[in-house]
This record gives sequence, structure tokens and C-alpha cells, in this order.
Amino acid sequence: MTLDYSQQHLIKMANQIAGNMPSRENVPAQIVQHMAQFWTPPMRADLKKIAENAPDSFSDDVLAALALQD
Amino acid sequence: MNKPIEIAIEDLDLGTPATLSESTVTVHIDGNAVDVPAGISIMRAASLAGTQIPKLCATDSLDAFGSCRLCLVEVEGRKGTPASCTTPCEDGMSVKTQTPRLDKLRKGVMELYISDHPLDCLTCSANGDCELQDMAGVVGLRSVRYEEGSNHLAASTDNSNPYFSFDASKCIVCSRCVRACSEVQGTFALTIAARGFESKVSPSEENAFLDSECVSCGACVQACPTATLQEKQVINLGVPTRKVKTTCAYCGVGCSFVAELRGDELVRMVPDKHGGANSGHSCVKGRFAWGYATHSDRITRPLVRETTDSEWREVDWPEAIAFAADRFKAIQQQHGIDALGGITSSRCTNEEVYVVQKMVRASLRTNNVDTCARVCHSPTGYGLKQTFGTSAGTQDFASVQKADVIMVIGANPTDAHPVFGSRMKRRLREGAKLIVIDPRSIDLVQSPHIKATEHLQLQPGTNVAVVNALAHVIATEGWIDEAFVQERCDVASFNAWRRFITLSENSPESLAEVSGVPAEAIRSAAATYAKAGNGAIYYGLGVTEHSQGSTMVMAMANLAMATGNIGRDGVGVNPLRGQNNVQGACDMGSFPHEFSGYRHVSDDTVREQFTALWGVDLREEPGMRIPNMLDAAVSGQFRGIYIQGEDIAQSDPNSQHVADALNAMDCVIVQDLFLNETSKFAHVFLPGTSFLEKDGTFTNAERRINRVRPVVPPASGMAEWQVTCALSEAMGYAMDYASASEIMDEIAALTPTFAGVSFDLLDELGSIQWPCNEQAPEGTPIMHAQRFVRGEGQFITTPYVPTDERSTRKFPLLLTTGRILSQYNVGAQTRRTDNTVWHAEDILEIHEADAELRGVSDGDWIEVASRAGSTRMRAHISSDIPAGVVYTTFHHPVSGTNVITTDNSDWATNCPEYKVTAVEIRPSSAIAVGM
Repeated sequence: MTLDYSQQHLIKMANQIAGNMPSRENVPAQIVQHMAQFWTPPMRADLKKIAENAPDSFSDDVLAALALQD
Repeated sequence: MNKPIEIAIEDLDLGTPATLSESTVTVHIDGNAVDVPAGISIMRAASLAGTQIPKLCATDSLDAFGSCRLCLVEVEGRKGTPASCTTPCEDGMSVKTQTPRLDKLRKGVMELYISDHPLDCLTCSANGDCELQDMAGVVGLRSVRYEEGSNHLAASTDNSNPYFSFDASKCIVCSRCVRACSEVQGTFALTIAARGFESKVSPSEENAFLDSECVSCGACVQACPTATLQEKQVINLGVPTRKVKTTCAYCGVGCSFVAELRGDELVRMVPDKHGGANSGHSCVKGRFAWGYATHSDRITRPLVRETTDSEWREVDWPEAIAFAADRFKAIQQQHGIDALGGITSSRCTNEEVYVVQKMVRASLRTNNVDTCARVCHSPTGYGLKQTFGTSAGTQDFASVQKADVIMVIGANPTDAHPVFGSRMKRRLREGAKLIVIDPRSIDLVQSPHIKATEHLQLQPGTNVAVVNALAHVIATEGWIDEAFVQERCDVASFNAWRRFITLSENSPESLAEVSGVPAEAIRSAAATYAKAGNGAIYYGLGVTEHSQGSTMVMAMANLAMATGNIGRDGVGVNPLRGQNNVQGACDMGSFPHEFSGYRHVSDDTVREQFTALWGVDLREEPGMRIPNMLDAAVSGQFRGIYIQGEDIAQSDPNSQHVADALNAMDCVIVQDLFLNETSKFAHVFLPGTSFLEKDGTFTNAERRINRVRPVVPPASGMAEWQVTCALSEAMGYAMDYASASEIMDEIAALTPTFAGVSFDLLDELGSIQWPCNEQAPEGTPIMHAQRFVRGEGQFITTPYVPTDERSTRKFPLLLTTGRILSQYNVGAQTRRTDNTVWHAEDILEIHEADAELRGVSDGDWIEVASRAGSTRMRAHISSDIPAGVVYTTFHHPVSGTNVITTDNSDWATNCPEYKVTAVEIRPSSAIAVGM
């Protein structure tokens, strides 16, 4: 899958959030909460769509967070 | 009955500074008993009691000097006639200020001064504004008995400084300028050269002012009692005839000024000695660099154009507003309401910012509003809210005077916040210790009478590693303030943090290699801070503009809480805000996820309050941040933007991406003073107002709300908030305000921390530091004194995560950026002033070893390339930076510094990582080119 600039940026942002969450306990839940606070619904939807097609681009914590968003 | 001692009378020079003593003594001045603070000078006591003792070398901004001998008094029971400026009051003292003996002595002193002074009062530029002239009148001098002899009347005038002249023929060598440069500014550029009759004021060992170490703060001009040091504006235009108090529009110090005018022509800006932030001091920008406000480049009529490759068309306001509204409505119809958004500006007033975010939320019906703090202090907002409960510095500026150890992290106060820098330097000269954490050797590291106890010269991008190592030492050495933590903080979070921070991976020894800071230096600095008594942290964009900016803010908050350095004078965690109203723009609800007062848009209770007052349903989901808007524009989903006072094409990172995004939009509206880099992509240009034309408030880095008063009418005929309201109404949502004051009333009604604020109260008190409410009706200088805003202080673990931006074989150097004293941000204002004599272009500082390796000599043109792009500028070989690091400023569009900065950003807030860009440089024969 070819990813455009915007998609690549979303992937990077998501992975960065996962890697920097202060507490390492239940990181996926923290990611969900962070995104709910600071990301628009379309951004969250776009991220989910990207993950369906390019899951290898994401850390496990991000993928777990996206699963939690269901 | 003793006369009560009142607060200093407005604008009256009391001769000597106030004392901090709380005890009082009773003295009799010319037979009247007065109670005064112990230690106060006779001169000041007399002034407070209503008696002005003649003086020349004394002024209440400087320590007493006792040289002019004009202020002599008689003290009962004492021999001689002591100088009233240097003689402290004692209980029971009886003083005579006016006797025949004193009259004779004073007249004799004045006669000597005047015997070597030009007698050209009528044509002198200081006529009517000269203390020497005043004193000659006060002592009744009518003639000079001395025949013409040796004198200084032919001494030359130094006109080298663009803003003021030094006419040595009028100098009385009172040393006020020298003392102002030393005591107030702390630069020590001036001295008195030679002795006796040959004595003269000398800038940096007899250099011209422009070539000396003088930083043109204007303190010497302010202090001069004659026409010796005088603003060229006064010389050219004449003495001002009216005054308006207002606030500077440059950095986050937010200095108060008195604008002095002749009619509607501004003659000079004089720092207000009653200003809460600056106490009568200023820097070269606020004092002198305001000429941009009337620069010929100002656009004062609205402009529109169909496409960005067509010519601008000058139109009237109704046509411009209708054009903009039609474009925006068309975008909404075709692409939906979230295809629009807005950016507020930290250079605008609280009231102007508030109406823009209100227009976006209530009229455009989207939360796509963001502010330029996104690219500077958004991590402060995140980090301090998480730990302390609100997004603001903890102290007032005066607090630094009580600090025992000052830790400056990623900030350069003497250049970027110079008036606070001077205040800090004064405290350091008094003996406070200094720890500097910065890749560069900033001026504070070593300057006259100041030397940092520790300079932790870390590698760019390793802030968190260094502060974690400091905290590790404090935790493992047993220097935690356990009582403070137990009483004031969330203990569970503290215990988790302690477990984390004491891990060996956080030890100075483990982190020395990555940070480049020797473990011993970390251990020494940790001991200095932890055992300080009062330890204060001040930080700038060198903290926030990193991939771990938010983490670093929380790490500093942890450090302060762990050592009990919160909640009183002399301590705290203090962001030095870049622009004048960064704090205010954030307070006003400019972030896409928050209403004013930092309350999330998803909070039903808060949203209902806004809905009730604004009369519209508001969105409960956060909107897009600036980088998200730009990304969405490139993807074709975001089509129109309202940009208030911000030049994102120059200031934001990865300029090419910004240009692509702006190019992709159907309607870009720019509201600004000048056509700028961003306006190249605009379809509508709405002329803005300079700070001299604004009516409103700015909130500075210490949460101080200051009035910005209109000095002259808006050049465009409309206030900026009126323009925003007109566009909102054209979009179908009316915002009816009769004045800026009414906007503040609405802010106060909707924002708990501003609940008590009004223009009337600001006029009464001068300024107010929020929170201002029922509990604190006159504001809050020190926050978190009894409890944190969030209740208990929250410790948060802060693992160090290296940035993705690393030096490689292709890009082996790390570029970091900053500001210089004479220029300001993208330079739109300062480049249009004579400040360019000090900084005409951006220069790349490079270490000698790195330069030699690449065959670069001082002054050579070089190409600087990163993975984002390349630019050209000249090189300067500097010992201020370590090998492997290069540094430049971003004040000039021609150098296009942000062409090479990348899209890396803070993990929590998307604040760009300006401070770390991997680059390579190579010699270039070409001249500088733009993007």
C-alpha cells in the first residue's frame, strides 16, 4: 500500500504516542484516551483504515489501541 | 499626628530605591514627624512626606551614589551637611532640608555645574525635560561668577547608535548612566574613564556606542538628567506633549510603557516604573524598535484576489468581508464544515484572540482552531496541566529576587527575554547560584560578575535524560523533601516515580554518554539545586521544541515537587514565553480541544455554559491542530483558513510542506500588518492593527494581564476584533460588542480564572495576575501556595526516548535554533526598524573543528542541507557551541531556516522539533536565496 504524506504522519504520531506514554502499564488504553482527547474523529478513523491495510507500520500497542476503539 | 506614608506618588522620582524593611522609624523633616520604613534614605523619606530635596546624581531606580552634593541637609546634633541620598533615617532624627546655609551650598554647587555646561536651554532638545535646568531653577541660580576657562563645551557628539545620541558637551558626569548600565541592565558597558577634570563617560573603553558592548536597552538614556543621552526622536521632533500607558508587543515579559506623543505622532516609548513586569526597565526592542508600526510597507486597505497568481485588488471593508464570507460558504457547501479552520496569534490581544476562536467554534461550527503556541509552548500546556493542574508558570518575575539557585534550561533570557534577564542577573550578582542546561554557551554562562556554577552542555535532544539523571541523584542521595511530598502531592504517583527514577538506567553514569554531560557535573548540579533553599527553574523553547517536549516539562515539574520547590517566593517552574501574549492566547481557548480556561470541549457542563451564552450548539470533539490542518489540506480535505497575525510559511517547520498545504486551499485569509510569506498564498488580506492601535489586554509569562491602550487610531479604520466580528456576521453568526471591554466581560463570565477581571479593575490596579476571582480578588502572584490547582501534585514517570532525528553519515551535525536580542521571531517587525544594524542576516554558528574539517572560514557562504531541504547563509566560527552542533536564528525569510527543519514533533502536542535537525554543511559560493 502506498501511503501519502498525511497517512505517514498519522502513523508516526500514533507510534510516537505509544512509545512515549509515561506509564508503561496498559499503554493501549492510554493511547485511546490520548487520541480521544486530542485527535479528531476523522483522524482516528483514518488511522484505523490505514492500520487495516498496513498493520506492519504500527507498533503492537497502537494496534491494540485501535482494537480497543471498536 | 504623624503623616501617613502613602504609596509612591505617580511619576515622582523619590531619589533612592525603597527598602524592604517592615519596621518603621519616626523622623522629623522640617518639623513634621513622619513614620518611614527603617533604612530608608532621608531623601526618600522627605519625598514621601511631600518635600523634594534638590538632586542630580540620585534617582529612585539606582542605589544612592552621593556625588553631586546638591541634596545636602542638616541633621540636628550632627556636624556638617550630609548628602540626604546616602544618609539613612534613624528613629528620632530631626532633619532640615531648607536653610540659608543649604541654599548657599546648593547654589554654589549648581554654579560649578553650569560653568561647564552649554547655556543653550531655549534651543536645547531637552528644554522643559531637563533635571539640570530644573535644579538651576529650584536653587535660584541666576548668574555664574566664573570666567571662561577650561571646559568641555567643545566635546564631540557620538551619533553612532541609531536610536540615541551621546552629546559629551552636556555631560555632568553624574554616573547615572554608568550605574544604570551596571545596576539595572547588568551589562557594564559604560564606565567613567580618567580622573578629575578629564573624567568622561566611556562605552567599552572609549568605543563609539554602536561598537561597544552596549545593548541599547535605553536605561542610560532614561537615567540621564540632561540632554547628554537622548532619543534622536526627541531631538528631531521635540518634547512630547501627551502620554498613554500601554504594553509592549514583543516578548513574553510584557513590559509596561508610557507612549509619549506629540498629537498622534509617537515620539518615544518610556518604560513605566510602575510596570509590574519590568519596574521601569526595557530592552532595545520595546524601547526603540516600534517604527515598523508606521513603516511604508504597512497595508491599511483590504486586499482580495481570485487566485494567488493574480494581482491584489484593493477593496473597501464590506467588499473584503463579503468576498471572504462567500469563499468560506462555498467551501462549507462543497466540502463540509470541517474543511475550514483558523489560527489565532500570540501577537494579538486576549480580546482579539477570543473572538477568533469564538468565530471558528460558533460561526464556522468547527473546533478547527489552533494558535501559534502550537509551535512554541504547547508542551508547557500539556505538561504543567498534567502535573500541577493548570497551564501556567508558577511565579511572578519578582520571585527570582528570592531564589538561591536558578536553573536555566533551554532558554537565553538576556537575548530573548532581556528585561527579565536583567532582573535575573541582578540576583545572580547578589550571590544566587546558576545552573545552565543548554548545548550553547549562552551569555549567562559567563558575563560580567556572573559565572554559572554548572553549565551542563548537553547534546541537543537529551533534555529528559539530563533531568532524569538530576532527579536520580536527588532521589538516591536522600535529598527528597519528604514532608512536602507527603503533604502536597499524590503519594502513589510519587512512589511510582521514585521506583522509576532510582533505576540505574537513569543514573548520571548511565546517561553520560548519550547526553554528553559528565556524571560528576550532574551530581554536582543536583546537589546545588536540591540543597538550594529556594531553587527556581526557568525554561524556554529549548525545552518544549523537542520530540519529548511535554515529557521534559513534566520531568522539571517532578524535580520541583520532589525538592519542595513549589508554592512560595523564590522557587517554581517558569516558562519564559516567546511572544507577548502566548499565555493569553492559550488562556483564551485557542487550542482545538479546549475552551477558555483550559477546559475540554467534551465537558458537558462547560460546553453548556458556552452554548447558553453564545446561543449555538457546540461540537464536543476536538478539532485539528495546525499540522493536522496542513496535512488535511495537502490531502484535499481542508480548504480554507483564517490566519490571524501569524506567518506560518516562514515560522512553521518544513516550509515546503506548509507551502504545499497553503497552495492546496481555496481560500486563505491573512490578517496582518504586512504582506508576508504566508500572504503569497492568500486570497484575502485583512489589514491588522499594530499594538499602538489596539485596545485590549495582553497576558505575559507570569500570568499578568496588562492593558493595551490605543495610542493612535487604527490605520485601517477598524479594530481587528471588529473585522473578525464582521466576518462572523457575514457567515451568519452575529457577535455584537460595543467595545473590547465588553469582550473581556464575556471572557470573565465564561472563564473561572478570569472571573474578577475587567478593564475597570485593570485600570485601578495597573495589572492582575490570574487567577482573579472571589478567592483572589486582586490576582495571584504565586500559584499552588496552599494546594495545587489539581489538588495534589501529580508525579509522572518520564522515560527518556531518543528522538528519531539523529546525526548520520549523510547529515552528521545537529542544528539547533534560537533568537537574538535585536531581532524578534520571523522579523516582520524588527526587520523594519534600525535594529538591522545589529543583525542584518541569519548566520550559522559552527565550531572551529567542524568548520576546519569542511574547509569553511569565518564569514564564508555555506549551504546547509537536511533531509527536508537546503538553504544558504554565512558561517561564523564560534566557541559558544560544541563540536557536532551548529546554531542559527530564523529572523530573515531570505535565509529560510525552516526550509531545513523537519516535521518531527512532540509526541503529545505536535510542537515541532525545531531544536534538533540533522544537517550537513558545505562551502558555497552562491549568495543567500529564499525557499
